[in-house]
Amino acid sequence: MIEVEKKGEGKKGSEAEEVKEILGAVSAQVPALIKGIIGSVFSEEAGRDMGKAAGAFYKELKESGIPDDVAVEMTENYIGMFTSLGDVLKQAVGGKGKHVKISKLRKESEEGTGADMAQKIKEKMAETEEEE
Amino acid sequence: MVRIRTILSITTSIVRILGSLFALWATFDWKVRRTRKAFEKELVKQGMSKEDARRISAQYKTLKNQLTSTLVNSIRT
Repeated sequence: MIEVEKKGEGKKGSEAEEVKEILGAVSAQVPALIKGIIGSVFSEEAGRDMGKAAGAFYKELKESGIPDDVAVEMTENYIGMFTSLGDVLKQAVGGKGKHVKISKLRKESEEGTGADMAQKIKEKMAETEEEE
Repeated sequence: MVRIRTILSITTSIVRILGSLFALWATFDWKVRRTRKAFEKELVKQGMSKEDARRISAQYKTLKNQLTSTLVNSIRT
């Protein structure tokens, strides 16, 4: 009886050791990873580079004879592509990619031109759902 | 004794993670502001008005909000 208790304690002890090791590694790696991701987008240098790119785009538009308000709007849309990075991350973290894929396929099947095409897409959708 | 040491070590790791995340969150606003300023400066250099440059650089704030909400949601779940 005492031996069984000792064995149980030993198992718990090794589990605690494992948790300790995992947390030790996570506490060092995760903040560094997040810091790296943030630093690659939100830094003075990154802002300057992005500004140079957007500025060159705007300048080219102006030189091509596009009115100022339209050029500004187009530059805004150009930079807007950059914020879609947030959506991509959201999907990656939330695991919404699968749902987007299925809804995209469904939409494609509804808008499809031929019956064969719709049939193929439906088959593909069924395969995707089976995989999940 | 070993168990106490393990518990202390686990607590230290958790405190370290939370501390690092708090430090990141606290400096995030400042980083966004600096990035926006550098971005606006380059746009103004290319001949854009300050107002328009400020409006376009607001995208950084949107991105920051998106990233923050994504992180908060991932921590909650």
